[in-house]
Amino acid sequence: MAIIKAEKTPDRSAPLFETSVIGWLHKNLFSSVFNTLLTILMLYIVYLTVSGVFVWGFADATFVAENRRECYDNSLTGACWAGVIHWLDNIFYGRYPRDQIWRINYGALLLVLWMAPLWMSRVKGKVLVGATVVVFYPFIAGYLFSGGDKGFFMQLMIASSIVAFAINMANMIAGLTKSLGLNAFIIQMLGQTNAPDKTQRNILLLLTALAFGAAYLWQMGWTVEGVSWTKWGGLFLTLVISGIGIASSLPGGIILALGRRSKLTVIRVLCVSFIEVFRSVPLITVLFMATTMFPLFMPEGFVLNKLVQVIIAVILFNACYMAETVRAGLQAIPRGQYEGAHTIGLGYWKTMGLVIMPQALKHMIPNIVGSFIGLLKDTTLVSIIGLFDILGMLRSISKDVPWIGLHKEPLIFGAILFFILCFSMSKYSRHLEVKLSAGKQH
Amino acid sequence: MKLSTHITALAAITTAMATGATVASAESTLEIVKERGHLRCQVGPPSPGYYNLDSDGNWYGLDVSVCQAVAAAIFGDQTKLEIQSVSSQARFTALANGESDLLSRTATWTMTRDTQLGIDFLATNFYDGQGFTVRKDSGITSAMELKGAKVCVTTGTTTELNLTDFSRQNNLNISNVTFEDYNVRDDTYLNGGCDATTGDKSSMAGNISAFPVPGDHIILPDTLSKEPLASAVRHGDNQWSDIVRWSVFALINAEELGVTQANVDDMRANSKDPNVLRMLGAEGNLNEGLGLESDWAYNIIKAVGNYGEIYEKYMGDGELGIGIPREGSLNALWTNGGLMYSPPMR
Repeated sequence: MAIIKAEKTPDRSAPLFETSVIGWLHKNLFSSVFNTLLTILMLYIVYLTVSGVFVWGFADATFVAENRRECYDNSLTGACWAGVIHWLDNIFYGRYPRDQIWRINYGALLLVLWMAPLWMSRVKGKVLVGATVVVFYPFIAGYLFSGGDKGFFMQLMIASSIVAFAINMANMIAGLTKSLGLNAFIIQMLGQTNAPDKTQRNILLLLTALAFGAAYLWQMGWTVEGVSWTKWGGLFLTLVISGIGIASSLPGGIILALGRRSKLTVIRVLCVSFIEVFRSVPLITVLFMATTMFPLFMPEGFVLNKLVQVIIAVILFNACYMAETVRAGLQAIPRGQYEGAHTIGLGYWKTMGLVIMPQALKHMIPNIVGSFIGLLKDTTLVSIIGLFDILGMLRSISKDVPWIGLHKEPLIFGAILFFILCFSMSKYSRHLEVKLSAGKQH
Repeated sequence: MKLSTHITALAAITTAMATGATVASAESTLEIVKERGHLRCQVGPPSPGYYNLDSDGNWYGLDVSVCQAVAAAIFGDQTKLEIQSVSSQARFTALANGESDLLSRTATWTMTRDTQLGIDFLATNFYDGQGFTVRKDSGITSAMELKGAKVCVTTGTTTELNLTDFSRQNNLNISNVTFEDYNVRDDTYLNGGCDATTGDKSSMAGNISAFPVPGDHIILPDTLSKEPLASAVRHGDNQWSDIVRWSVFALINAEELGVTQANVDDMRANSKDPNVLRMLGAEGNLNEGLGLESDWAYNIIKAVGNYGEIYEKYMGDGELGIGIPREGSLNALWTNGGLMYSPPMR
């Protein structure tokens, strides 16, 4: 009687206990009397909460009404979303003139298009794309949002922005269709692949110059009505302040962190004191200083744009926090990396830029994004100093006479908006981490 | 109304010292405003009745109308105006450092503020006072019956201090339940967390109108404090003070003389009353002392109406009003037994 068979016995399927839903329930929720009781209790609590929220926020809620009294007439216990719906323009765009709101929408669309290539794996030159967003987008968006007369410098920058945007889009198309960078694509199209480097460079420069000339002439005809910054508000203002803060606090933080580790005493002492002073003061104090005390030191009648003061304060404050995050990342890099870079003859800036920073920044992604999320939420403090950002607008609903006293619904709506924004930032950072560490593994 | 904190006072005093010397020698405020092309008028974070944002992002309210009146007096155009919303902590500093030309918000005219902060209060446009709201079915008809009651109050304001004083004076043993935000205060009161709420009568009237059943609550007749709410300007520019003061007086005087937004053209052309003709600039030279055009008061009334109309629109029973009765109150015209009184314009 042979115990050993020549062929393999077929695999038995996993026990029902492990695969079925009931098995899972039994194992995880009802494994003992105590756990069963706990499960039932928890289910009951979940039911109470969910049904309560549903009845208040949906079943009994009023979505269409002209004022709060009509909401009450409809239902005394339900939410009154009609007020929030009436105020949507204010919540998103602030006091921006209603017939000019397309400018904000176009500005947002432009940013999305501009940054889209960063998500496309076939597109080349992502670093340049990122750099043009930071350098050029603020000018064209700034003009789009504030309008008015363009100075000569502004005209130059707008023309450059148009060229940068056009090149970016062309590069994206070249990347998607041919997997080539735009420069290589153009050279190929012109049949100059074998021409000397210098000729190739001159052709590209000439084309850029032509495009610039055309863009300059084109933008001369543009004028949009001036809109004072005092009319900016709502989610738009929140995103402007935090967007500028995010874009500039990282470079600022890197510079401060490098300064703090510098061997030059003056630079080090300056950086250390700057960082420590700003980090030991609450943001609201910095904002108050910037908006009420700062004008006292200026000549009389000199009123600096309050929005600019706030943005500067936010940038400085966050650059200091960022500096400490970056410093932590720098300290994680072993000494051997510096020494290795020196042995192959790299100087300070090349060591930092090519060897140290790329490694350090990768480790810091969770912390950096954490700071960005914090920054986005901190900007709501500007409502205290009288800017109508999204929180200011949400709170104003309860003071508007038709909606007087309506304060819960707007704040809940704001919480949902903030959750969406912060959660997507957090998801994006996870995506970045996975992508960058995948690069390390092969 | 709000407690003037030490920091505010300190900042404002510093400012007064820093700028006091330069104000006199610099251009006059009127010149600066005319050169800039618009008036910078300071209000606070939205407050029902006084200054609010509507769903299209426009400001409206009693104090906003005063801003518009001054803009109309100077430019003949009420839209040449930038409304600044400044928090209570920074309000006097923002006026003193030149950020605002004019403060038209619910600031109580007190001696300390008038004499020590480098600002001048000019003309009261609303007489407010602290009072109590109670449930009708509680049977309470006077604040003296609030013995041992729990009273909801917003913290950090003179309201809270007045309540404590009142309780001590009358031996009422009231316990304060304090809140940061008056919406939460009202929610607590509505859910039975306290027996009464206290606050400025005007704002309480507004809040009650938003209760599920407004008829179930009443404001007690007792008044705990005097709160004359007045517009203010920087100390030291008398011409500018005159402009603002007489713009407010023009509103009150127009009501007394029966000049309204609707009939102001007709009155200027056809009235036989020399007082009306003088005020509207058809006769005499009242404008010369102010440095404005002769039709300054006409422009004011044309733009915002007289005081009675403004009151009706934002404080009274108008569509955007918060429903505070004017009859018999301090805010009635002096001819009806109130305190609204303008010196003669002649």
